[in-house]
Amino acid sequence: MSVVLFTVLSSFIASAVEFVEALTVVLAVGVTRQWRSTLLGAGAAVLVLVALVAVLGLTIATLVPIELLRLVVGAVLIVFGLQWLTKAILRAAGARASRDEVATFGRQLAALAKEPPVPATGTDWISFTVAFKGVLLEGLEVAFIVVTFGAAGGQLAPALLGAGLAGIGVLGVGAAVRQPLARLPENQLKFGVGLMLVSFGTFWAGEGIGVAWPASDLSILLLLAGYLAASLLAVRTVAAGLVRRTAPTPMQTRQELN
Amino acid sequence: MRYVTAFGRFWYDFLIGDRPELFVGPIVALVLVAMLIQAGWSAVGGLLLFALVVASGGVGLGRDLAVARARSDQ
Repeated sequence: MSVVLFTVLSSFIASAVEFVEALTVVLAVGVTRQWRSTLLGAGAAVLVLVALVAVLGLTIATLVPIELLRLVVGAVLIVFGLQWLTKAILRAAGARASRDEVATFGRQLAALAKEPPVPATGTDWISFTVAFKGVLLEGLEVAFIVVTFGAAGGQLAPALLGAGLAGIGVLGVGAAVRQPLARLPENQLKFGVGLMLVSFGTFWAGEGIGVAWPASDLSILLLLAGYLAASLLAVRTVAAGLVRRTAPTPMQTRQELN
Repeated sequence: MRYVTAFGRFWYDFLIGDRPELFVGPIVALVLVAMLIQAGWSAVGGLLLFALVVASGGVGLGRDLAVARARSDQ
């Protein structure tokens, strides 16, 4: 039960972050050009992603032996999760700028303003293509998480449920406010997703190489707690490293006073 | 051929990008722990895997911190 809930939650948060980024692109195109073509492009990308998840998820899960699958998927999740987690740690410590949805929205608007005008009739292929590419690229990370969780943990339905709820939630809020969701605590969410991906990845890859986890599935929670503690320590260490670098030494302070 | 290259480039950027230590570290960790388990040290396998993954992240963060410091010096 805990694994199912954990899968829904991980998939929901990871997907929400990516959907927010996709929403920024879709809003920028829709506002400046043509909503119908934009929504057609976004819808086409969603269809491609759903087909990809269905085909890859089912094919991988049925053709590859479970031990090998867990090892490969676990290793990939550790690598992918570490990338999310370390970037989130750097942002939390102030060593890396946070993503700014409003600034991204502004850059998209400026780029779209240079395109040819919207045709008077028919489909605007610029709107369609930009929306399609934006949603597909952001959605590929969602598809990757859903497929890996589904294949390695036998949790395709909970992973799809989490992604679907996130999509509905972000689209609903986006349609209501008609502006980028800049107030979402994006870095905290990425921090959480990174922790979950690394925890699941370590658990599955460990099972793949024959690790006998002491508490069975509950070991995932122990791993999560361990990675959380290490990450919080890393945030403090990186922040302290930056402060040490920028703060004047006692000798410099004396020289300045003299 | 162009699509194969693009596909390979996509996965390279997706998993390795400009931070190869975050790819190599976990792979080395898994190989080491697998060898240890084969040698009969399975009791410490999980703990060692966790510690090595944390160490991989630490190496990546150390490199990122050095880059951030170099940027602030410029």
